[in-house]
Amino acid sequence: MDHVRRTFPTMSALVWLVAAAACGSGSGDAANGSIGGRRILRIAYLREIDVLNPFTSQNLVDIEFSMMEGLVTTDDHNSYVPVLAKEIPTEENGLVTRRDDGTVAITWPLHSGVRWHDGAPFTSADVCFTWRFVSSPGSQTYNRDQYLGIKACDTPDDTTVVFTWDGLYGYYDGLFEAVLPEHVFRGMSTDQIVNDEGFNRGRTTLGTGPFRLAEWKSGEYIRVVRNDDYWRGAEYPRIDEIVWSFIPDDNTRLNAIKSGGYHWSQIQPVQVKDVAHLPGYHVHLISSNSVMHLDLNVGTPHGRLLFGDPAVRRALFHAIDRRAIADQLMEGTVALADTPLNPTSPYHDESVQGYAFDPSLARRMLDAAGWWPGRDGVRTKEGQRFSFTLLNRAGSADRTAVGQVIQAQLRDVGIEVGFETLESAAWTQRWRTGEWEALVSAWFLSADPSLTSLYQCDGPNNMTGMCDPGLDSIMEASDRRLDFAGRKPLLNQVQERLHDDAFTLPIYYNVVPEVVSDAVGNYRGSGTNFGSFWNLWEWTLR
Amino acid sequence: MTAYIGRRLLQMIPLMFGISLVLFALIQAAPGGPEGALLQGGRMVDARMLDAYRHRLGVDKPVPEQYVRWLGAALSGHLGVSYSSSQPVSKMILERLPATLELMGVSFLLAALAAIALGIFSAVKQYSAFDFLGTGFSFLGIAMPVFWFALILQMVFGVWLKWLPISGTHTVGATSFSDHMEHLVLPAAVLSLRYIAGWSRYLRSSLLGVLRADYVRTARAKGLPERVVVGVHAVRNALIPVVSVMALNLADLFSGAVITETVFAWPGIGRMFVQAMLARDYPLLMGILLLGSVMVLIFNLVADVVYAALDPRIRYD
Repeated sequence: MDHVRRTFPTMSALVWLVAAAACGSGSGDAANGSIGGRRILRIAYLREIDVLNPFTSQNLVDIEFSMMEGLVTTDDHNSYVPVLAKEIPTEENGLVTRRDDGTVAITWPLHSGVRWHDGAPFTSADVCFTWRFVSSPGSQTYNRDQYLGIKACDTPDDTTVVFTWDGLYGYYDGLFEAVLPEHVFRGMSTDQIVNDEGFNRGRTTLGTGPFRLAEWKSGEYIRVVRNDDYWRGAEYPRIDEIVWSFIPDDNTRLNAIKSGGYHWSQIQPVQVKDVAHLPGYHVHLISSNSVMHLDLNVGTPHGRLLFGDPAVRRALFHAIDRRAIADQLMEGTVALADTPLNPTSPYHDESVQGYAFDPSLARRMLDAAGWWPGRDGVRTKEGQRFSFTLLNRAGSADRTAVGQVIQAQLRDVGIEVGFETLESAAWTQRWRTGEWEALVSAWFLSADPSLTSLYQCDGPNNMTGMCDPGLDSIMEASDRRLDFAGRKPLLNQVQERLHDDAFTLPIYYNVVPEVVSDAVGNYRGSGTNFGSFWNLWEWTLR
Repeated sequence: MTAYIGRRLLQMIPLMFGISLVLFALIQAAPGGPEGALLQGGRMVDARMLDAYRHRLGVDKPVPEQYVRWLGAALSGHLGVSYSSSQPVSKMILERLPATLELMGVSFLLAALAAIALGIFSAVKQYSAFDFLGTGFSFLGIAMPVFWFALILQMVFGVWLKWLPISGTHTVGATSFSDHMEHLVLPAAVLSLRYIAGWSRYLRSSLLGVLRADYVRTARAKGLPERVVVGVHAVRNALIPVVSVMALNLADLFSGAVITETVFAWPGIGRMFVQAMLARDYPLLMGILLLGSVMVLIFNLVADVVYAALDPRIRYD
């Protein structure tokens, strides 16, 4: 008796656990089915978002796009498609006209009969309001500078918007990824809109999209429900509810999808083999507009000394086996990159061939450039050892691994590479100061193919010190072409010249592996910065 | 006693100033700033915008000036507004606190019950098979990395057996209490294991010492049954060191379990702390860290008060 009493607490704890576990048995699948006959799409999402205003959010805003719509979105072919706009203005369809004073009038016809979630009509005034907000100083929009070319916004009627641009900008058709409701923000300053808790966190959030916000449980999930008044017709959307559960841990997300509780999840490339044969699911390897690349910095004195000679940079690139990185390190999930523009983009230049892996050629080129192997095997020139440090971002395992392969392969041709690893925020700060020698990195580019801000001599995101005035003039010219036929050859030249300049070595296009349940229909994954939920309105759920 | 508690509470005030100063300096000393969050998704951002962002948040000002400004607001009850969510920090903490309190509370309760039982039994039956088993279990619990154990439990109970859900606090759309309990099982099991392992070791060794004390021998000599000797006379004294360890751990109730909450996607304070740290969300970080600090101070005081209750020889004047 004595014995029983003393062990009782332990026993009770165990009983509690087992009982709770037993209660759970069999009901784990409930998550996958519908509850109360409602078709609920469950998504294991990789992060919690910050705010619901798509223009001030610092994250990718794919969740927001279920509720809010813009004039355009990006489809699975890396192209802009109209949403609230009836069609995308071009010179061919007569909606883009050049005026004598050098300005350009761009007319956007809008769908009629569109209503905000609160029943108020969506009109051209909302579009102009959005432009005024985004272009105002302090709007905190990541691509605000692109909106600055618009000088006026006119509304001849409720379903027509006319922008007056001060010149030609190739990216004109990819702006306005969302439209904000003017009646919600009326009378507010830019700062008040940026900090408006009501809209940011869901109390007053509304859009014209297929789903309305139902609840946002901090740290846990966002739930949206069907908008019965959706403008595409009563049959859309074809799902009753969507729940985005925030599961930041990569392994947990993998387990979550394996446990059968979710319809959609994004995983890491190295996890693909774990779910390749998961019954009831398919893994889609979405090639993204994000290219893993090696940057060499010529902005510092030491960097100029090492990398100043284009022949030396090319030699380095010949010493790196990109194919092995893509096929072995990334387990064949990624595609080799020869230019920064993804092959899914119509602007990708197929004729550009990346630097072939040829270590003996690399050695000969380095010899010819005057870098001779020293006693310890590291090349030297005029007393200077060929040794540099690769700046590495902690927490991104793929970049670290790529860096390690590069380190080993350059060692093979007599170049010493050290590592410095910084945590993400610290890495970003260092990257911006330009006080680094080389790094492996990736950008998420939009569907617009402009590369100017990255590679222009004084481009705002050019931290490598690279400068090729000839390249600049081609890039600037390409930015001022509105027609594909005119822009394409210029961008081909840009890609060729970037290859020859050899400041940056494209390695592979990042893939976003998305695991999607077979119960989901009409999923068309997209690798742009707009994400794969661009056509949620037509998704189905069995 | 009342005077003692009052004095201790008064001492906390200058201490909190010191703590806030150190915390603020430490947070600011980490390289990088909140503007890094703009680039975290890998989205290309016009780098000129980053400076504008820093200016808007006021983090381009000298650190002492920022501290004075923060302190002024904090003294008037304003912990500031989070950089990333533009919500008041106090509101964000209050939103997340219930989830953390629940998870930690349940884990503590389970752990305390199990650890006391395990500790007493191991000490009373020293070198028995049960003692060796308990010792082995404790070392395993202390040595096993939390994230790894958590993933193993997810694999077994979530993926293979499909008995239990592996993330979140409930199945969205289902509102039953049992559904919520199912979600609590795995994270609570992981968390409590760690405490059981540690606390039971403390209690075991403390009780072993007490059981050899003269007064216990006297109690036995008086002919008291072993149950009373251990249960009434020995355990009470043996609990004193354990209580101070437990009390300090109690402060975790409010700061959450960073790894467990992240791995199980539990919407608690710990997970918010990690996010805030990565985003260099200074006001939110200060809020969470200060809450943790206050709780450590308070539970320290609680521990001291409980000593006196457990041991009549301890008196505070």
